[in-house]
Amino acid sequence: MHIDLFRCVPKSSLMLLILGAARLSGAASADDPAAMLRSSIDEALSVAYSGHGNQNLPARVRPLLDKTFAFDLVTRQAMGPGWRQFSAADQRRIIDLFSELMIRTYSSRVVGTQRPKITLGAPVELAPDRREIPTRVTTPSSNEPISVVYRLIKLSTGWRIYDVLIEGVSFVANYRAQFDEIIQKGGAPAVIRTLEAKLAATTDSHT
Amino acid sequence: MNYPIVSLLALLLCLSGCAVTEKHSATQPAPAATSSAVGYDFANVPLQKENDPFQALNRTVFSFNDEVNTHALRPLAHGYTLVVPRPVRSGITNFFDNLQFPVRFVNSVLQGKLTRSAQETGKFVINSTAGIGGLIRVSDYVLSLANVPAEDFGLTLGVWGIPPGPYLVMPVLGPSDCRDLVGFAGDYVISPLNWHTLGFIHHAFISNAANLALSGVRYLNALPHSIEVYDQMKSGAVDPYIAVRNAYLSYRAAQLKK
Repeated sequence: MHIDLFRCVPKSSLMLLILGAARLSGAASADDPAAMLRSSIDEALSVAYSGHGNQNLPARVRPLLDKTFAFDLVTRQAMGPGWRQFSAADQRRIIDLFSELMIRTYSSRVVGTQRPKITLGAPVELAPDRREIPTRVTTPSSNEPISVVYRLIKLSTGWRIYDVLIEGVSFVANYRAQFDEIIQKGGAPAVIRTLEAKLAATTDSHT
Repeated sequence: MNYPIVSLLALLLCLSGCAVTEKHSATQPAPAATSSAVGYDFANVPLQKENDPFQALNRTVFSFNDEVNTHALRPLAHGYTLVVPRPVRSGITNFFDNLQFPVRFVNSVLQGKLTRSAQETGKFVINSTAGIGGLIRVSDYVLSLANVPAEDFGLTLGVWGIPPGPYLVMPVLGPSDCRDLVGFAGDYVISPLNWHTLGFIHHAFISNAANLALSGVRYLNALPHSIEVYDQMKSGAVDPYIAVRNAYLSYRAAQLKK
């Protein structure tokens, strides 16, 4: 009896150690923005270049992009201070429409059958809860590698992308400039009308 | 409106000797993002106020260019890609890039970026010899010569503290600003492709027709890529004019920091 019990103790403590270590490493990867970005990019590329072309791509990548991008924060930034005057229902509708536009735009960039090569640089700390990660994208169609910088924020759900800068051009700032006049002239209804028209037009051109 | 900020930035670049910003410039956070700490205000991203007093005229030229793209340039670029395979196209791109070496070299020197001018010289020598007259960019495989930011006279003027001035949309050529327009003229003079036209060199083998054909090939070869970039930008935009203007000015501002 005694001997059995004695044997059991180290075994279970070993198990605890392994479980503990597993939990620790899990926590570390969820806490590491670079690891999160790397795995999201790899996953997105395997969905995009799975050999199905652009067919249905927006629908296929949406689940992944939903847990990679902070779509609500991206939308808020793109709308500017006018956002605060929008009704909750309008805000919800605009987030839905704008994220759909982003996902479709992303999907339309997938061309050809050759996966682009993407290398990650060292993360830069913008604030304790925000990081900037520079990447270089080499595609078969471009002679020079393209600089793509991701800005991430740590939310309760983990690290999420809140802006992307392509060759120094901020996605958020670019849309902020485009929406400014639309919001000043017609507020939330004008934004919704513009986005609906844009999405309808891109559906037509795809079919 | 951006004059004080841009000239201050250019002045700071000059004072810092210009050569210090060699690598990892893309990793440097933009000042706007660092200014706020943990409580970053997502609802108050500052709007970049652009200097665009000629907007009405610019928009007219922009829609004219859009028509030219749709009805003339896109079909032309499409036909060209069908006839000329990708490896040949990238060989031609590399050849003309290599020939533009004096432009990048002179501007690196004018900006006091001596390391960069040495890198450009190294690239030119390697690509002209091992790269068979510039057709293959062998320098990409040399670590110290890969990813050297290309300098031009517009950027030189920026480094010297000259503000970009009003935004301009040029017929067919597309987005520019006053500074880049002057830069374009400066680079035209430095580029060896134009030395014959400008009367700098006289050679029995180079006729005006041959020179014109060379420039034509260069333009045509660059067309598919520029059309692709334009189409991508337009496809996601809710106001293509503003989207292109913001992209052009931000892109040039980022290049100036490199």
